[in-house]
Amino acid sequence: MPSDGRIGRRRFMEMSGATLIAAGAADLAGCAGLAARPAGQTEGIAWFARFGITEQLVADALSAALSRGADAADVFFQHRISSSLGLQDGAVNRAYASVSLGVGVRAVKGDQQGYGFTEDLTPEALREAARTAAAIADGPSRPGPSRFHVEGRPPQRYPMKLRWEDVRPDQKMPVLSELNQRAFAADPRIEKVSIYFADEYGAVLVADSRGRIVEDVQPMTLLYLSCVAGQDGRRESGGYNVAGRAGFELWTPERLDRIVRRAVERTTVLFEAVPAPAGEMPVVLAAGSSGILLHEAIGHGMEADFNRKGTSIYSDRIGKPVARPFVNVVDDATVEGARGAINVDDEGNPAGRTHLVENGILATYLHDEISARHYGVRPTGNGRRQSYQHAPLPRMRATYMLPGPHRREEIIASVKRGIYCENFTNGQVNIGAGDFTFYVKNGRLIEDGKLTRPIKDVNIIGNGPRVLEQVDMVADDLEIDEGGWTCGKDGQSVPVSQGLPTVRVASLTVGGRGPKG
Amino acid sequence: MAHDLLEAARGATALARKAGAQEAAAVASRARSVTVEWRDGKLEKVTEATTRGIALEIYADGRYGAVSTSDLRPEALERFIADAVALTRALEKDPYRALPDPALYRGQAAVDLDLEDRAHGSLTPARRLDLARAAEAAARSAKGAGAILSVSTGFSDTLGESWRVHTNGFEGSRRGTDFHVWAQVSARDADGRRPEDWDSGGARHLADVPAAEDVGRRAAARALGRLGSRKGGSARTALVVEARAAGRLVAALFEPLSAAALQQKRSFLEGKAGEVIGSPRLHLGDDPLVPRGLGSRLYDAEGLAARRFPVFEKGVLRSYYVDTYYGRKLGLPPTTRGASNLAWQLGESSREALVAGVRDGILVTGFLGGNSNGTTGEFSHGLQGFRIRAGALAEPLSEMNVSGDHRSLWKGLVAVGNDPYPWSPMRTPTLVFEDVQVAGV
Repeated sequence: MPSDGRIGRRRFMEMSGATLIAAGAADLAGCAGLAARPAGQTEGIAWFARFGITEQLVADALSAALSRGADAADVFFQHRISSSLGLQDGAVNRAYASVSLGVGVRAVKGDQQGYGFTEDLTPEALREAARTAAAIADGPSRPGPSRFHVEGRPPQRYPMKLRWEDVRPDQKMPVLSELNQRAFAADPRIEKVSIYFADEYGAVLVADSRGRIVEDVQPMTLLYLSCVAGQDGRRESGGYNVAGRAGFELWTPERLDRIVRRAVERTTVLFEAVPAPAGEMPVVLAAGSSGILLHEAIGHGMEADFNRKGTSIYSDRIGKPVARPFVNVVDDATVEGARGAINVDDEGNPAGRTHLVENGILATYLHDEISARHYGVRPTGNGRRQSYQHAPLPRMRATYMLPGPHRREEIIASVKRGIYCENFTNGQVNIGAGDFTFYVKNGRLIEDGKLTRPIKDVNIIGNGPRVLEQVDMVADDLEIDEGGWTCGKDGQSVPVSQGLPTVRVASLTVGGRGPKG
Repeated sequence: MAHDLLEAARGATALARKAGAQEAAAVASRARSVTVEWRDGKLEKVTEATTRGIALEIYADGRYGAVSTSDLRPEALERFIADAVALTRALEKDPYRALPDPALYRGQAAVDLDLEDRAHGSLTPARRLDLARAAEAAARSAKGAGAILSVSTGFSDTLGESWRVHTNGFEGSRRGTDFHVWAQVSARDADGRRPEDWDSGGARHLADVPAAEDVGRRAAARALGRLGSRKGGSARTALVVEARAAGRLVAALFEPLSAAALQQKRSFLEGKAGEVIGSPRLHLGDDPLVPRGLGSRLYDAEGLAARRFPVFEKGVLRSYYVDTYYGRKLGLPPTTRGASNLAWQLGESSREALVAGVRDGILVTGFLGGNSNGTTGEFSHGLQGFRIRAGALAEPLSEMNVSGDHRSLWKGLVAVGNDPYPWSPMRTPTLVFEDVQVAGV
């Protein structure tokens, strides 16, 4: 369908479906034959040397970006090779591939930004993009760096054993065919199976006017199995997906087995579903992907750009109690192999673990360079961007709640009438008013302290700060979800992760159609 | 039309054939765009760039692959396409993949869609800034503007062009402009909430874009109208869905109309052609030939000559969106791959008159998240808007949800407004539904 295009300034998150998977093929790089390099950071320019990128070229671009008096400038090179294979109607009969190569140049004056980008990596095109960015300022030229250095010791959060450059399509195809057969074998009600297997590799290079330079080699892979089942003239669809920053070794027999089992279970259980209730009630969130609650209820509202502008419901609340003392929420770049892991952010800053809520107290916003300067704090490594076509923004990485003092069984047993949410497709938030939603694809009723009949397809709505106050039980079973989540903000999509222990929210509005029980 | 893009598209298909493909379709495109973002009295960000790329579909030995690249260095492109053909040949066969029947390329409408504003080149940086600044000034002059926390506005414009070339005879080009202006306003509520709302408009020609002042004023009025919102009670009630918001529901009704959804058994509208899906007020078609339309086109995403066709007539489903591939799988003749502009049979009433007509219910001014299950028709969305009491707008509502089933929702479509939302190709008017479940307190 046509959409309203760039004006939709929504903050949302969704499970990557087939349509979201960037396409590509591993052996389409146009650069095979070059020596394989380790993933992660490397000293100076390594990956991009193949495109003729030199420190001199980078220095010239930065000088041009500073030529009209900007305070600071950076360049962001990106080379991303995406591949995917699709299985439908029993055959691996479609392949997609894309190569994305380009550079963005940014000039910053105060909190104003000029941004230009180009797919053409020649010195002339780079200078032209830099001059476009430079025009944000209007003053005498400032000198750029003549030498570059790599800061700190580079971490390695996505070590790869089997690199995508070295994996041939005929190694991947049997994975899809076997999953397809097993899905049909798992349940006679399965009528259709679609599978997408995507992988991505490449690198980014960031250099700035302080003379910092860093490259990061960033893999990604995602496998999505969706199915349609039929029973008594009804049809239901469901699926399961797994994603991570890893090589081909991620796809172990155990993981593939889980994908089939959960996709089929989550689809066929829908036939037993009863209408979800309507109205306010206790909601128990299962460990794992329920972290979508944090992403929407607090994560976006803690992104410092909204607070710098005074438009978040969390503006002016740092240091104040927002939840019970056993509630701790972090945004973490360091979860090894997670879809939301990064070694370094897209402004070249080190990325670690940031406490949003520490012992119930609102602790730290998620910063990029501009907001960190505004608040006079160190950047938190949250400056991220979709691609070279975009200036960075404060964005989440892997957002989760630390384990708490309760047990899962005791939490479920504590609820007389409520619902239990297990599996989600998407969520959205209004940053300023604080209202957020998430869509529950699979869940169960809780009746007299027990999980009973399945429910499905119900949206849940709450208000961020009020819901945090209502988190009154947190279990010790934290699980970081392995799914392929994508977060959208201001028209930019970035990969993220999320997690949660089993949590009870004393009251949320459940948007069902059935009686409240 | 840019000859270099035609040459690039022809070149890509030739490289595909050289590498062993029998057939190929290529699109070479380029877009020049400028975006100016303005906030609270000063320029926030300017982004300006020209982007380009080639996309290629490959048909080789009964197999299919689709690739794209922005790395157009000649040696890299040749290698990329050769590798793409090799990858395609490694796949399993798919007898349903083929370029469209060339007969369907013929008969393009002899109309000037007028999609390019030739004055685009004379748009100056100062003019863009003036428009963004004017939107903010108007927002800040709104009644009650003292509660405004922040105003973000912006203006963007794009000139895009492309050539599509198929090895079985199709060559076509598009060239068009678009211009957008927007404003977003945040306000401070008494209890610490900071509700926000926005207004925007976009068009093919600068002269058709709404006045920046009107956009700013409307954004401020909408945001300030959210102050003091609260959650209403759970009920079955009438819903008046504002034209701007209605696109969400219509998109969910249209998604299951695609041949892909039908063939994959993910459509609650499978086998429903000729059946009653909605009330007689559900009457609309697909019209790709609207001059200056945001979704207008002379040929579709497969090169098929674009034509108008009915989708729903007096509530009866008349047509699906059928592309070549899934059409061949289903044994259905292709219509077109995706919606262009929607053309509604409008009602006679304004939004205000429709609100007055329902007496008691909810005016929905926006949805928040939620989803629709295209396989079953069930939906559930967050909503915001206003309570309607005695035919007039009363208190603002927030943190509520609406849920139902598209199989019954549209049968309860009791009125359609006279106010198609002009800034989206869906051109939805205000829609009034009776007896819908909302959840709240």
